[in-house]
Amino acid sequence: MLDLSRVQKELTECNKDTAVSGVTLSLNGSDLTHLAGTITGPLGTPYEGGVFHIDIKLPSGYPFEPPKMQFITKVWHPNISSQNGAICLDILKDQWSPALTLKTALLSLQALLSAPAPDDPQDAVVAQQYLRNHPTFVATAKYWTEAFAKTASIGIEQKVQKLVEMGFPEALVRSTLEMVNGDENMALEQLCSG
Amino acid sequence: MDDTETATNSAPPPNPNPLKNEQTLDGDGDVSYPSYFQCCVCLDLLYKPIVLACGHISCFWCVHRAMHGLRASHCAVCRQPYVHFPGICQLLHHLLLKMEPVAYKRREVEVLEEEKRLNVFSPQFENSMITEEDSDASEEIQKSTEDLKASKVITSKEPCPPETGPEIGKHKQVSVDDVLCELCKELLFQPSVLNCGHVFCDTCLSDLANGPLLCPACQSPHPGGFPNVCLDLDHFLEEQFPTKYAVRKEKAQLKRVEWRLRESSSSSLQEGKKAEPHDLKDDPLFLEEDLRNVHIGVGCDTCGMYPITGKRYRCKDCKEEIGFDLCETCYNSSSKLPGRFNQRHTPDHEFEVDKSQMLCSILFRSFVDDLQQEGSVIFLPDDHPHDHGDADDDDDADENNNGATE
Repeated sequence: MLDLSRVQKELTECNKDTAVSGVTLSLNGSDLTHLAGTITGPLGTPYEGGVFHIDIKLPSGYPFEPPKMQFITKVWHPNISSQNGAICLDILKDQWSPALTLKTALLSLQALLSAPAPDDPQDAVVAQQYLRNHPTFVATAKYWTEAFAKTASIGIEQKVQKLVEMGFPEALVRSTLEMVNGDENMALEQLCSG
Repeated sequence: MDDTETATNSAPPPNPNPLKNEQTLDGDGDVSYPSYFQCCVCLDLLYKPIVLACGHISCFWCVHRAMHGLRASHCAVCRQPYVHFPGICQLLHHLLLKMEPVAYKRREVEVLEEEKRLNVFSPQFENSMITEEDSDASEEIQKSTEDLKASKVITSKEPCPPETGPEIGKHKQVSVDDVLCELCKELLFQPSVLNCGHVFCDTCLSDLANGPLLCPACQSPHPGGFPNVCLDLDHFLEEQFPTKYAVRKEKAQLKRVEWRLRESSSSSLQEGKKAEPHDLKDDPLFLEEDLRNVHIGVGCDTCGMYPITGKRYRCKDCKEEIGFDLCETCYNSSSKLPGRFNQRHTPDHEFEVDKSQMLCSILFRSFVDDLQQEGSVIFLPDDHPHDHGDADDDDDADENNNGATE
C-alpha cells in the first residue's frame, strides 16, 4: 500500500524552495501515484536554460520501492535513452533507499545531467559519441535542449494556435497539451496517433 | 507516568524563538517536534522508534517494511548492513509520548488503524492509550486530542513563562529522569542503543568486559558489532540539558584519558572494540549457495534475526497470522521474550522444525528465472547487476517515438 501522507508531505516540501533547487513536483490530476516533475538544466552544461519534464509513477510499494521516472522531454545524454527517456541511475534501481525522496531523486537527475557516466550507458549511441567525438556530443545536446527543452518558453496560446493551424480541434489541442505538460512535440505525437 | 498527568503537563509553552531545526508545517497544527525526531522514511513523527546499530532511528513499521526478506538489510540513511530487526527503544518511545503527546497519540491512532486493517500488530505497551479490544477508546483519544489542542491554543495565548534556568530546555515536560543510562543511572551521554532497545552511555558499554556484548539490563545478546552512538538522541540531550550534559561530557573525557593511559601501560595491545564492524562477509546471508537455508520473510521473535537462516522453529499453537518463530540459537536459549508482533505466545506452546523453506527457495528460484527471462527489472538490493533491459522490452516504445523524432 502506498503511503499517501508521505507523498503529500513530499509535495509540499519540494515546492517550498523551487527557485533555489530548480526542481518542481506537481500532481498529474488527482492521482497521487502519478506525478510530474521538472528540473532545470544545470548551468555550464549543454542543458543550461532547458526545462526538462519527468514522468513519475509511484509503485504500490513506494517508498520501499523506487519511483519509476522517465524523461518526457527529449534529451541527449549517455545515461538517458534518446528514444524513450528511460533513465539509467543506480538510485532509481538497486541503490534506492526509503530515506530518499522524490525531490532528492529529481536533484540526482539534475546532477546526472551535470555529470554523465558514459561507462554505464543507457543510450549506447550517445555514449559512443560522448567518448569519441565530444564536441559533436555537446553540439547535439545543446541542439536538443534548444529544440525540446525550451518549448515551454513559447506561450501556451502560441502552441495552441500552431497546432490548431495544423487542423486539430482547439479543445482537443488544449487537453492534449495539458496532458503532456505543454510539450508541443509530445502533443503533436499524441494528436497524430489519435 | 499516567495519562492524565501527561495531558495536564503537555501543552508545550509557546516558542518565541523557534530554532532552525523546528518543524513548522503549514496546516498541520500539532507539528512542532524537532526535525531529528522525524522518521526519515514516513517523514512523520517517529512512532515506536527503533534505533539501528548504526545509530539511525526509524519507526517500528518503517524499519520492518524496509527490511529485505531474503538477505541482509541496509540502513535507509547510511546503508550499513544489518540482519537483526531490533526491538523498540522504549526510552525513546516514552520520551516522545511525553514530549509530543498530541502528535504521538495521533500517530498511535493512525498506526493502529493500519495494523487492524492488516491484522498484524506491533508490540503494545502497558501504558498504551488504546487497547485492541477497546473500540471506543479511539474516539475518546480523538476527543482528548482535540481537548489537548484546545488547551494548547489557550496556553499559547498566555505570556511565556520566564526561563527558570539553563537546565530546563524547550521541552519542559521532559526531565533528566526520563533519559537516564540504565548502567550509571546518570543523564545519558552519547547514548548507544542495543538490539533489545535498551539505551546506555557509549562509555558505560565500553566498560563492559570483552567478548560477546550482552545487554546489561535484559541479558539478551547484541548481535553484530558495537553499536554506534545515536546522534539524534545525543543532540536532543545536549540541547535539552545543556549544563548537565556539559558535566557529563567533561567526565567522559577524563574517563577516556584514563582509559588511554591504562591501555598504553598494559603490554597487550587491546584491539579497539569500536570501529570494528561485524564482518558481514562472513555472514551466511552473503553466500548465494546458502540461499536454501534462508527462511524468506520469516524473522526470529526473540533476537530479531530477519530472515532466519538455518533451522527455523515454528510455534504450533500461536494463532496469529504472522506466527511465532525462533532461530536455532534462541530456541536453545532460556530467554523467553514476548513476540515482536504482539503474539499471544506462552512458554507452554509447542514448537516444530519448519521445513517449508526448501519449497520456498525452489519457488523463489523459478520466480527469479522467470523474471530474468522476461527481462524485467527486479528490485533486489546489492549484488544483482544493473538491469539494462532497455534493449528488448522497450522496443515498442522506440517505434512509437521514432515518428516524433523525424
